[in-house]
Amino acid sequence: MTKGESAAPVNQFDPETRAALTELLLQMADDEFVIGYWDSEWTGIAPILEEDVAFASLAQDEIGHAQALYRLLAELEGGDPDAIAFGRPPEGYRHARLLDHPRTDWAFSVARRFLYDTADAARLDALAASAYAPLAGVVAKMRREETYHLLHMHAWLDRLATGGEEARARLVAAMERLWPDALCVLDGIEGDDLLVAAGVLAEPLADVRRRWLAGLAPELSRLGLPAPPAAVAAGACRGPSRGDDFRWLWEQFTMVRRSDPEAVW
Amino acid sequence: MGGQPMQVYEVFRREREGGAMQHAGNLLAPDIELACHYAREFYGRRQESVRLWIVPRVAIRDLDDPDLLQPPFDRSFKKPAGYSTEIKAKLAKARARAGQEGESR
Repeated sequence: MTKGESAAPVNQFDPETRAALTELLLQMADDEFVIGYWDSEWTGIAPILEEDVAFASLAQDEIGHAQALYRLLAELEGGDPDAIAFGRPPEGYRHARLLDHPRTDWAFSVARRFLYDTADAARLDALAASAYAPLAGVVAKMRREETYHLLHMHAWLDRLATGGEEARARLVAAMERLWPDALCVLDGIEGDDLLVAAGVLAEPLADVRRRWLAGLAPELSRLGLPAPPAAVAAGACRGPSRGDDFRWLWEQFTMVRRSDPEAVW
Repeated sequence: MGGQPMQVYEVFRREREGGAMQHAGNLLAPDIELACHYAREFYGRRQESVRLWIVPRVAIRDLDDPDLLQPPFDRSFKKPAGYSTEIKAKLAKARARAGQEGESR
C-alpha cells in the first residue's frame, strides 16, 4: 500500500462508528487471512499440477488482502499489523464460522471458496464507494483481483456440478453442510447502520446478504444445487469459541512467530 | 479429472505494448476456459505480460521437412546478410582495381 492512501483523517468518526469500522475491518481481514491459510494447504495435492498453482495463488492473494486490511486497522487503532495478524489467541479472531472447517476434500474446498468469494464480492461492492478513503482504495484493488477468483470458482462449481456422479454428490453434500455457516459471513455487525449513515458502507450487511443470495439464485437453480436455508444456524457467527480444527490451523500459522515474537525479518 | 481428456495448450505472451508475441511455454488443461486461467497463473500473475494467446497444440501444423526448410543448393543470395557480404567483397575488389588504375595513370 502506498502512503498516499492513508492520508484520510482517522478521527473523523464518533467512537461508536469508529468501533463498528474497526470490527468490520477485523472481520474482513480475518476472513481473508484464515481462508488464505486453509486453501494454501492444497499446495502440492490439488487435482492437477496446473490447479495446484492456481489455487495456491488464489490463497496467496487472500493473504495479501488480509495484509492490506491489517495495515488499515493498524493505522486506525495503532499497533503493528503483524502483531494483529499473528499475535492474538484463537479466541481473538473474528472470522466467520464458515472458515472454521478444515479443507476436507476438493469439492468441499471449492464449495466453501465459492460461497465465501461470492459473499465477499457482495461486501466489497458495498464498500467500493466508501467515504473512508483508505478503505475504498484497498477495496478497489481487492475487487480487481477478485474478478479472477470469481471466474475461477464459477468455472469449478460448474464442472463439479456437471462433471459426473461422484463430483456432483460430493459438491452437493459440501454445500448442504456449508450453507448455514456461509450465511454467517454477512451477518450484521453492531453499528453497521452507523457505518451506512457515515457513508462508509453503502447498505446494512443484512441487505448485502439479500443481494448476494438473490444474485446466486439463478446459477444454483440452473445447476440444481442446494439453495440457502431460511436462517443462520444457531450459535455465534464469529467466535469467540472455536473448534479443534481452527485451533490446529492457528498453531500452524502462529508457530514461527511464537518461537520468537521479537525477531526482525 | 474424470470427464474431459486433458489437452496441451501452447501459450504466447507479449511482455509490453508494441512488443511481439513470443512463445512462453505450455500447460495441460481439460478445456479452453481453464487453460486461460492456468495461462494467466503461469505466464501472467507476476505482471510479466500484457497479453496472452492460448492455443490448443492440435491446432498447430508442424512443419519440419528438410526438403522444404533446408534446400541443398547455395541460397546465400536469398539472405540479406549473404547479399551484403558478397557486395562488400565486390566493392572491395572494385576499389582495389580503381586504385591500381589511378596509379597507372
